[in-house]
Amino acid sequence: MTLVEPFLFAMFGGTAIGCALGVVFHRNPVHCALLLVGVLLSVSGLFVLLHAPFIAALQVIVYAGAIMVLFLFVVMLLNVKGESSILTPGAAKGFGILFALLGFVELLWTVLSPAAESSGIPEAVLPADFGSPAAIGRILYTVWLFPFEITSILLLVAVVGAVVLAKRKFA
Amino acid sequence: MDTATLIEAAIKVHIVLGFILLGVPLIVWMERKVIGHMQDRIGPERVGPFGLLQTIADGIKLFMKEDIIPSQADKVVFVLAPALTVITALVATTVIPWGDTVQLFGRTIGLHITDVNIALLFVLGATSMGVYGIVLGGWASNSKYPLLGGLRSSAQMISYELAQGIALVGVILMTGTLSLAEIGRAQKHMWFIVPQFVGFVVYLLAGIAETNRAPFDLPEAETELVAGFHTEFSSMKFAFYFLGEYANMMVVSGVAITVFLGAWQGPFLPGPVWFLIKLTAFLFFYVWLRATFPRLRYDQLMAFGWKVLLPVSLLNLVVTATVLAFRGS
Repeated sequence: MTLVEPFLFAMFGGTAIGCALGVVFHRNPVHCALLLVGVLLSVSGLFVLLHAPFIAALQVIVYAGAIMVLFLFVVMLLNVKGESSILTPGAAKGFGILFALLGFVELLWTVLSPAAESSGIPEAVLPADFGSPAAIGRILYTVWLFPFEITSILLLVAVVGAVVLAKRKFA
Repeated sequence: MDTATLIEAAIKVHIVLGFILLGVPLIVWMERKVIGHMQDRIGPERVGPFGLLQTIADGIKLFMKEDIIPSQADKVVFVLAPALTVITALVATTVIPWGDTVQLFGRTIGLHITDVNIALLFVLGATSMGVYGIVLGGWASNSKYPLLGGLRSSAQMISYELAQGIALVGVILMTGTLSLAEIGRAQKHMWFIVPQFVGFVVYLLAGIAETNRAPFDLPEAETELVAGFHTEFSSMKFAFYFLGEYANMMVVSGVAITVFLGAWQGPFLPGPVWFLIKLTAFLFFYVWLRATFPRLRYDQLMAFGWKVLLPVSLLNLVVTATVLAFRGS
């Protein structure tokens, strides 16, 4: 197991990075969407390595299996040829660099903070049912009940909004 | 992970793969023969005894045919799409148990390739990825009928996936596990089709829609869409779509048998034999349906999925949960 794990990590991580680069650099929107599916699948592989098979399955079913299919559906239906940008190329580049820098600083902060330094525990002991559907369900309906219910209301609002937009008559 | 485990896994993978690849020609033969007799014809009978080798002959024909890729097609996706259909179907078969554990050479061997504790979600995930094979096949052909077929199928499969998943939740609530082997073992005294009959019917209908079989075969409705998403595919690429469709039928049947029809359990005969009998009966049912029902219209199909199947499956879930909660307290 100890021998296989780094290899699998390199495989899933490498594929995720490769596909993510492809999403950014590919010109064809359908190819981009497909590569994004590749990223999601590799990340779900990483979840399995982190002893979270339930999250991995949800990642595949919800994101790769449902949301990305709808994405593709829209891209195919609209038949987007080239990309049309809201921002001018210069502004887009500026924003990109700004956010990349922000993200980098944030990551650096987390890695270099004293909290990360002190948590040099070699191997955290996991409870036996860590990441199992039962454990996640229990914590979701006890500790995180309020945020969970708020999220469902948020989704309901989105559904109602979508129906209202779709039903509106354009005079 | 020792060598014996690896060898065991390799043998089991070969058994399942061989079973599917040999089973698909037999199912196709059965389908043609049964539909032939139902329509007062005799069906294939020229190649081999009872026409048994007809599908093999068709396979060889497809293998020898010229492989055509349309000049305006997206070549990479065009090649990828049929493969995706087969891969997702085969991946889903890895967690379906076809028997209880057996003792062999002093080892306890479970009769399934692997039993992950999220097996049911694994199958749902693999089948939800199967949509891509069809959608992309339709898009990559760069031709209007395949595109329409592909779009139809993506809408259809997303709609029916929901009802299919929720129909299974009733059994998950009753057993408290997502492992297919555990669900199979829990049906020693009573098959789950009895307490979960509504769930079974919803799963069955949604499963037929999910595999694009008649009467839900709108993505390839030949009277309006030529051959739907696989119009431009020829030779082995077409054969792959064919193989994927039948392998998917096996997956849907396998899950239905494991979850609702007592898995490998049955009197007298050993587990794998019972599983095979149930699988054959289920596939016969598929063929029977095809010979019986006319195809639904597209708006009827969507209305049926969203306004009938989904509410019914949700109601089933609520009733099951309520009953279990009252019994538990």
